[in-house]
This record gives sequence, structure tokens and C-alpha cells, in this order.
Amino acid sequence: MNAAAPEPKANMGQPVPRYDAAAKVTGRATYGSDMPMDNPAYAFLVTSAIARGRINGFDLDDARRVRGVIDIVTYENAPKLKEAKLFSNGGYAGTTIQPLKSTDIAHEGEIIAVVVAESYEAAREAANRVKVSYTAVAPSASFDSPGTTKAAAKGQNAQFKEDPQVGDFAKAFDEAEVKLTASYDTPTQHHNPMELFSTSCVWMGDDLVIYEPSQYVYGLKNGVAEQLGIDADKVRVVNPYVGGGFGSRGSMTPRTAIIAGIARRLNRPIKLVPTRDQGFTIATYRAETRHEIKLGASRDGRLVALRHEGAEVSSRADAYCVGGTKTTTRLYACPNVDSLVSIVRADRNTPGFMRSPPEVPYLFALESAMDELAVKLNMDPVELRRINDTTNEPIGGKPYTSRSLMACFDEAAKAFGWSERSAAPKSMSDGDWLIGYGCAATCYPTQMAPSAARVRLQRDGRTRVEIAGHEIGTGAYTVIAQTASERLGVPLEKVAVFIGDSDLPPAPVAGGSNSTASTCSAVMMVCDQIRQKLFKAVMPNESLTDKAKETVGLGQAPTTQAAKSDRPLDLEKAFDALGAGVVEEYGEWKPDGAPLDSFKAMHSGHARLVGGHQMKDKIAYAFGAEFVEVRVNRFTHEIRAPRLVGAFAAGRIMNPRTARSQLMGGLIWGMSSALLEATEIDERTARYVNDNFADYLVPVNADVGGVEVILLSEQDDHINPTGAKGLGELANVGTNAAICNAIYHATGQRIRKLPVRLENIEV
Amino acid sequence: MSDQSSSRPSGFDRRAFMAGAAGSALVPLAARAGTQDARAPLAQDPALPVDVTLRVNGQDKRLSLDARTTVLDALREHLKLTGSKKGCDHGQCGACTVLIGDRRVVSCLTLALAAEGQEITTIEGLATSDRLHPMQQAFVDNDAFQCGYCTPGQIMSAIACVKEGHAGTDADIREYMSGNICRCAAYPNIVAAVKQAAPDIMKG
Repeated sequence: MNAAAPEPKANMGQPVPRYDAAAKVTGRATYGSDMPMDNPAYAFLVTSAIARGRINGFDLDDARRVRGVIDIVTYENAPKLKEAKLFSNGGYAGTTIQPLKSTDIAHEGEIIAVVVAESYEAAREAANRVKVSYTAVAPSASFDSPGTTKAAAKGQNAQFKEDPQVGDFAKAFDEAEVKLTASYDTPTQHHNPMELFSTSCVWMGDDLVIYEPSQYVYGLKNGVAEQLGIDADKVRVVNPYVGGGFGSRGSMTPRTAIIAGIARRLNRPIKLVPTRDQGFTIATYRAETRHEIKLGASRDGRLVALRHEGAEVSSRADAYCVGGTKTTTRLYACPNVDSLVSIVRADRNTPGFMRSPPEVPYLFALESAMDELAVKLNMDPVELRRINDTTNEPIGGKPYTSRSLMACFDEAAKAFGWSERSAAPKSMSDGDWLIGYGCAATCYPTQMAPSAARVRLQRDGRTRVEIAGHEIGTGAYTVIAQTASERLGVPLEKVAVFIGDSDLPPAPVAGGSNSTASTCSAVMMVCDQIRQKLFKAVMPNESLTDKAKETVGLGQAPTTQAAKSDRPLDLEKAFDALGAGVVEEYGEWKPDGAPLDSFKAMHSGHARLVGGHQMKDKIAYAFGAEFVEVRVNRFTHEIRAPRLVGAFAAGRIMNPRTARSQLMGGLIWGMSSALLEATEIDERTARYVNDNFADYLVPVNADVGGVEVILLSEQDDHINPTGAKGLGELANVGTNAAICNAIYHATGQRIRKLPVRLENIEV
Repeated sequence: MSDQSSSRPSGFDRRAFMAGAAGSALVPLAARAGTQDARAPLAQDPALPVDVTLRVNGQDKRLSLDARTTVLDALREHLKLTGSKKGCDHGQCGACTVLIGDRRVVSCLTLALAAEGQEITTIEGLATSDRLHPMQQAFVDNDAFQCGYCTPGQIMSAIACVKEGHAGTDADIREYMSGNICRCAAYPNIVAAVKQAAPDIMKG
């Protein structure tokens, strides 16, 4: 055991090494653009240099003269594709802006031509030789740009159903003993997964195979089929490994159907590996947001009024929004709540989910405001959270299925040494460094979606699990293998897992942190079908009792007293009785409260996520508490975060090793969102300026100091059969607020706009 | 254009090309090649294939390549060694890191022609059939990756980091491993892995 593999506590699985570890350290793991292809042609994208206007025409002579050029595709000769509907309107796409359809330009960096050549080098050169004449119109870049429009999210985004409200906010705020009004800003951010947004398409007759990093192979398969106007059964998406997702690969982008269409026309496999900078505009991003928070409290710290108003940028074409008020209005006990979310339309590509889409910006606002309120009340910020902790969310009064928020605060505070903090700002220092301690709460909704699985057991115990899940770094292979091993009682090394292929039984989008709960619940159910079948074969007149279902493994001696009263199954005997060499079962699982059309939707690439605040008579969230130490140099204003400590409770922890790694990465993401990451937009051209890894700052190893992850035991029997709450998006929430709260403690300066750079410090 | 064994007339004078590409000038030369002025007339067509022999993981590989092909694209597109990854093609992320001789090099900024005659080691060349390299094993033991895309580059870089004598302290490891971005942010585990493997690697 080492730090990477924490000792399991109650209700935790074993911290086994990753199923795919050997493949990943030897280079054998094959990502989308690694897939072997027979004689591919190479595509290179040409993207728009203007954000708004139209194309007058192309001069392609120079480009065509490049040796090896096969085809240059523009709006004039592009394959005809059907419209792509937005995922939130029953479609699959992350944007309805369809490039190569007309002369119109909707945003900077829109695809305007695709060059196909015999080599990557020739395609790139020819793309650079494409000359474009534009008629440009002054674009609206962001908030405050002339020409933007602003309107309430409700009514224009089908997935944003309500602005949560309860009680009488205006009256309560007016009468409150202590009041706070503050505004907060969060920046544009791009996911920047390490793997580029590649797409390879191979036609075999009428059948299409797509190799592409995707967080939703069923969605992509169905979406591309719809755009091409072919049967979805003719399309197969394969991606056994995905080089990071973070939300960027959850919905279909326009590039896939375009490349598929060109490959069909040329009758040649095509490989597209877009550049890093193109990834900023051909996929989605986290839009910039603005917030106004109003808190009213009694002098003893009880919240009496809370209002959260948020505004988010989206494209002209699509009303995307994250609407985090669904979470911030329900986090603390408060009888009078009001909220409003608006969308501001600008000449931009459509934004999309990025790791904890609603919670990262909206909890930055709320958790910063809670810290400001604690200062006003002269109260420890942890105690302010304790006073306002609740077992029921305040909007509908529904009980949390489990809520270990304060236990997380207490554990993390202890590990961090919070009691050593002197409360006054600027009261702690070390030489030239001002030291600040800060904290914040984190939470993330527990979500599940219908999922299918196929499991095959051989008499020698070898097991094969098939499910179209996604390995985006979360440990999907590993926890699926562990689930089958535990449920069937077969050794882990005998379990083979096949995921990342739309020919396998459907799994939901790897988004909303639902994958583990959904796929493992399906695998558990199908393993039980196998056990049932074998049990019936051996003991046709007895039924496998529920108790035995829980306790008896196949071919494994029962260990608990309850199990001893049931007979264990000898695998060899069971197979003899069955007269078969293999048992294979397929099953479809859906969570409580899933809509009636769930399974139909599952097969057609629509994930029906349930959970969070949308459950009928309960609300399910995972919680955590994060503490940070920041150091601000009093002369250079350099800001460092040498210590990040987080404690998290997320139901059953399937594998403490992979869970810890995800939470650790999340804490670092949170630090990054506070101190490093922002996509800079040129106001005049609506263009992303820092669209590369040198200028878009993500943490490197030297940026990261001590990171401590504490996993709390928590049992929750009201969410799904695994008892697991998703935690992939839990740790990067609240960290941004904790860091700004710590900067306030270090410097006395309250920073309400992210990211915080040294030029923003005025010590 | 892969794995051509027969020799082909070349429209490209490799000797003249190599003269400008020797030693430390590799990187700026490759960067220019990637961003050449699109309007400049081409003196010689670089798309005409050039014969090159690359020594990769102890084996000579004869190739016929577009002169602008990088080591990374030669490995990935022509030799089917896809372990080395393309994350930026600008030398900014380190996912493509390989060893040329004992040096760690971003293979996306190194032209294949400039690597001729040198020993290239990729992630595929580390493990024997039944045993992982100590650095690979240390990455497994310390869960030093999540999605795994940056991992081959991290491991190649980590081996060089140790051999350079830059793995003495945690701070040193952090500093000298900072050319390799891990977006999943497995950094603390990467530091632990490098520390674990360092003694074994120094022993040889």
C-alpha cells in the first residue's frame, strides 16, 4: 500500500490497480487516432478568421497545386448533411451551427473548408494556402459588447425548467439583521483534454466505423447516422480509450458527420487530427458567467434570505446554459429564496458542459459570499456552514438521501490544522509571504441513467463483461471488473471488460458523473441473472433468496453467518447441471424514477439522467469540504497554493485508489480555475487569443504542492444498487472560492473575479 | 509511403538540409517548417519522398517520407508505433516525448530526417515481454495517470529526468517534470512514481 492506494474504510471496495494500467504504461492503449487504418487520406481543417459575416469566395488555386491534394471541400461542394438538433432539444449535437452549409459565418474558428491529401504534411500545407475573401461584420464578443441580447433562461432552454424560489425573499432580505450583496465573475475556460479532437472514418460498403474520442458512443453513432440520413445500425463508434473528456466529448460536434460524408464520397478512409487551437472553436467550452448574490442573516448566523442571479454567455444559435441555481438555492437551510438565470447571446461558438458545469461557477459565487458573510458576522466560516446545515433542501422540503457535509468539514479541518488559523486578515505570515487559510463546501448531484450490460461466464470462471461505457480516465474498466468479480465471486484477474464500442450493449453518456453508478448497477443486475440461472439448474425446486443473492458468491465458500444457511454454488456442478459451457446474460437496468421511454431512448443514444434535485420525494448529492493554504508574496504578489486538503463523502467508494486520483485531480482543477485558467477573448474580433498550451495556463507539476484527499465512509441505500455517488466532478467545485477566501485571509483583499493573477493583488 | 524498402529518386537534397539541421538547431528549424510563409515559392517540392533510415527501439526502419515529416508522425503514421502521442504538435505539452540517445526530445518538433543515425527509444521499447521497465511499474504502483494519454511522454521524460540527476528531491522532480502536461492532474502521483523508480534506474 502507498499513498495512491488508501486503506479501504467501511463501505469501500478494494484499491486494486487499474485494469488498464499495463496498457497505458506500455503505449498499447489505443486512442482514436491510434487505430490502424488501411491507406488513409489525411484531412486538415481550415477555420474562419472572422467571427461574423460571410464568405465572398475562395481562391483554391495555390492549395490545389500542392502535391498530394485529393480534394478541397467548402460550402460549395460539401456533402449534404441533415440538420443536427441540440442535445437539450432531443438531438445529439452540442451546437446547431452547421459549418460548410452556406457562406454565413457564426463564430471565429468555424470550419470553412476541409483539405484532404495523401499525407498530413500535404494537407496542412494546402490548408495554409487556401485563400478566403470575407465580408466581415463587427461581432459581439461577450458580456457588455454592443449587439448582445439578454433574456431569461427559462422558456428558451428546455432543460432549464425553473428559477427556484420559496418564501418571500424581498421582505426577508429587507428585514434581515445582517445583509450582504456581492457580484462575482468567472471566465471562459476550455477543457483542453490531452487528446486532440480527432476523427477517423472508414466505410466498408454501407457500413461506417468512426474512431473518435467520445464520452457517448451511442449518442455519436445515432447523431452521425441522423445527419448522414442512414440507419443507425450502419454506424459503429469505437474508442476503447479516451484521452480525457471533462465534458468536451459528451455531445456530437459538426466535424464527425463532415468527415464521414467526405470519406464516403472519396471512398477512402479519412483521418482528421485537428490542431490544438482548432479545438478551441470546433468543440465546446465553459462560458463566462456573472453572478449577484444577496444574503440576509440573523446575527447568530442563520440565513433568512438568499438570492442568486446568474448570467451566462451562449451563442446566437443556441440557448445553452448551466443554471447552477438549482444547486445553490438548495445547499443551505434558508426559508426565503429567490433566483434568476439569464442567457446573453454573442457571436461565439456554442458552449457546453465542462467538468461540474453548473457547480464550478455558481458555487464560486455562493461559497465566496458565505465567507464574506462570516466576516460580517465575525464568525468562523465553518461554523456558519454548520449553523445553516440542513437535512432537507429548502425549496421543496425534500430530504437529502444522505448528507455528510459537516462531517467532511470536520475531518478536513482537522487534517488541515484549521484550528491554528488566526482569524484576522493579514495576521499570518512567513518571511516575505503572507499566509491565508480558506475553506469552502463542495457538492455535486448524484445522477444515474438507464444502462444495459452483457455478461458471459465460463465454467473455469473466466468472465467477459460487455458494455458501451467509456474509459476517460475515471477507472471505468476497473470498477466494472471489480463489480463483476465481487458479484460473481470470480477472481478479478479472470474478468475481461469490453467498453468504448457502440456495438456493445448501450451505456449512458459519460457525463454528469453518472457512469459508475449506472454501468455498475447494470453489471450487478446481469451478474445476478447468471447466478439465478445457475442456482436454478442446481436446485430447481428452491429459490435463490434475496439474502443469498447478497451473500453467496459462485464457487466461493460463504463467509457470513447468513450465507452459511444457504448453500454455496459449486461452479463446476452448476455448469454440469445446466449442461452448458457458458452462461451469457443480457439485461437492462434503469434507476427509480426514470421516464417510461428510458430504454427506447437508451438504444437511440439519449441518456435519461435522473437524480440530484429532480427525484420525486428526495434529493441526492455528494458532498465535500475543501481547505487551502495560499501564500502571497508581499513584494512580487506571486500567489501559491502549497496545500489543498479535501474530505469527501460519496456513498460507496468502489475503488479508493481511482477515487482518490479523481478527487486529487479535481482539487488541482479547482486550484487551476482559481489561479490559472481563462480563455482570453479579443473584444474587437470575438476571437480566442490564448488558444494553445503555452498561453492557456493549465497546471504543470511545479504548480502543485501538497494535495490531500480524505475519503469518508458513507452508506446510502436510497440512490442506486451500487450505493455509489458520482465523484468525478465533486472535487473541482468550491476550490476556487476556498482559494479566494484564503487570499482574503492572507491579504485583506476580497477578490470576486477569476482567475486571480498577481496583477490583481493590491497588498 | 510507409516502410519502403526500395530506394527511390529523391527531389530533395538531404545533405544540404541536414547541414542546417545539426545539433541544437533542430527545434527552431522544425518550428519554421511548420509555419512557413504560405506565399513563398517552393524551391524544391518537400512532398517528394526522401529515403530515411530511423533506428527505433534497436531496429533499423527504412522509410520514404515527406521531408517535413516529424519523428512523431513518422512513428505514428508510418511505423505504426502509436504509443507516442500528439497533444499539441507545438512542443508545449510533452505527450510526444521520446529519447534520442539519452536526451528527452519532443518528437513533434524534431524532423525525422534530423534523427537519422540516432538511437530513438519510444514507450514501446521499454518493457520486455514479461517485465515492465521500473518506471512503468512505478507509474502503475502509484496510479500516476488517469486517462493515460500523456503517460508515454511522462514515462520517457521521467526516465531522462532520473538519468539527468534531477530526481533528487520532490521539488527537483516537479520542476524537471514540468514539460509534460497531465490534464487529469496526476502530478503528486507522478512525483511519487519517479521517486520510487529512481534508485532502480540509477543502479542501471
